[in-house]
Amino acid sequence: MLELQNLSRHFGGVKAVDQLELDVVQGEILGLIGPNGSGKSTTVNLITGVYQPTTGALRFKGQDIADLAPHQRTELGIARTFQNIRLFGHLTVWQNLWAARVVRERGWSGFRERWLSGAKAAREQAEELLVFGDLAHKRDHLAGNLAFGEQRRLELIRAAASGAELLLLDEPAAGMNAEEISDLDQRIRRLRDQGRTILLIEHHMELVMEVCDRVVVLNFGRKIAQGTPAQVQRDEAVRAAYLGADHHA
Amino acid sequence: MDFYLGLAQVIGIHTLLGLSAWCVLHTGQVSIAQGGFFAIGAYVAGMLTSMWGWPLGLALLTGAILSGVVAVAVGFPALRIKGLMLVVATTAFAEIVRLVFFNLTWRVQTPQGLVGPDGSLGFGGIRYFPGNGWTTLEVNFLIWFLVVVVMLFLGWLDRSRVGTLWRAVGEDELAAQSAGINLTAAKVSAFGVGGCIAGLAGGVFAHYATHIEHNNFGILLATFAIAYPIIGGLSSLAGTLLAVIFIQGFLLEGLRFLGDWRSLLFGALIVVVMLVRPSGFLRRSLGESFGRTRHA
Repeated sequence: MLELQNLSRHFGGVKAVDQLELDVVQGEILGLIGPNGSGKSTTVNLITGVYQPTTGALRFKGQDIADLAPHQRTELGIARTFQNIRLFGHLTVWQNLWAARVVRERGWSGFRERWLSGAKAAREQAEELLVFGDLAHKRDHLAGNLAFGEQRRLELIRAAASGAELLLLDEPAAGMNAEEISDLDQRIRRLRDQGRTILLIEHHMELVMEVCDRVVVLNFGRKIAQGTPAQVQRDEAVRAAYLGADHHA
Repeated sequence: MDFYLGLAQVIGIHTLLGLSAWCVLHTGQVSIAQGGFFAIGAYVAGMLTSMWGWPLGLALLTGAILSGVVAVAVGFPALRIKGLMLVVATTAFAEIVRLVFFNLTWRVQTPQGLVGPDGSLGFGGIRYFPGNGWTTLEVNFLIWFLVVVVMLFLGWLDRSRVGTLWRAVGEDELAAQSAGINLTAAKVSAFGVGGCIAGLAGGVFAHYATHIEHNNFGILLATFAIAYPIIGGLSSLAGTLLAVIFIQGFLLEGLRFLGDWRSLLFGALIVVVMLVRPSGFLRRSLGESFGRTRHA
């Protein structure tokens, strides 16, 4: 579904992402892990178009997306959440979802839906997502006034509200307690079961090992391992990356 | 009484101007160009009625649309930059417009003699109101009718999806584009609508003043334009109106005995509002406590 070919992003002399090859297969939950500074967030920013790659190619459903603006990539079907939550704080919960709905239709009805009313189907979908995110009772609250866990849930359903098939979740479990994480676990699975593909960037190993079908490990911008969670856990290079080179006996 | 009727006209015109800046501020952009759009509307509408005898409504509409078109044309390149650089770019635009009218001489023969912009001498003889026997009260009705229409329009726009998109872009551009919002379309549309309203305000101003000149459209006017919605708050349209009444009615007229010290108060007021009530006199919560939820 999403292919990264020989993708690099250098900041001056720093190779934040270096010759990365990555395939996200439709319908899977792929984990992207690695120590701090290993290039996970840069990878997300490259996929969503916040950064331009230094070299390499990016393909989504066979289409080259390297030259597309971020909103065009969302239109094609890639949406994301942010490591540090970025909601529209002065908009209500409902408006956050409403604003995120991507209208792909052209012509007059597309114009009307995009700028004026929003279609009935879009409203129904937003209602479903409110229930899914357990936020239906907070629909008219300002997003900025929500509790932390609620804000995370809202960001998750806002990404889904765009109608995207591929969701990039950038550390969705950061700052959550055990109960909230198990909640998140269930929600990620259900999003997948609804036909979405998930790329999960996460530090929380338990969640990654629990929920992911496949895991890719980055270190210093390079891919050092990939495989099932069990395979990756046993991998020597991964252990070395996480525990430090000294333990690499 | 005449004094208050005159003041009401000024307040109405400045409310329209403030509302034009309100649109642009919604998307998080600070534009000094509103004075320029105001000037375009003023000259275009004034020329159409006084030089070629157009009916007022058509002239105002043409001036508004033309200002909107110019706003969209300027918006595409200008809105690629933001923050301070946008302020600089829009200031430059406003000055260009002012200097174009400073240099424009185009007079035609009418039954009232030679009429038209006359360079630095200004553009006099926009005598549609006195020529057609309008009283000050009637002019007031027209101005406030337009204020109500524009407010209803913007209120509707704010509740429609475009208002939500504008606010979303104003809140967080990165999150907005990640949510699939086309930043350029959102900003340029706000700029265009704002340009139309500023042009309309300018057209009304030209006919109210009967004589306009480039000096009317300097940086001070643009500063007023953005000060109203900032002081009044972006969450409600009434805030802008209240800010205009406060500044024009109280600060500039009521404190006239203070002379030029009033300008100092005006500057101080902006600073105080920024510090004490950064979201303006009327905060969003007030609007909501009146049961205003904006999903339709």
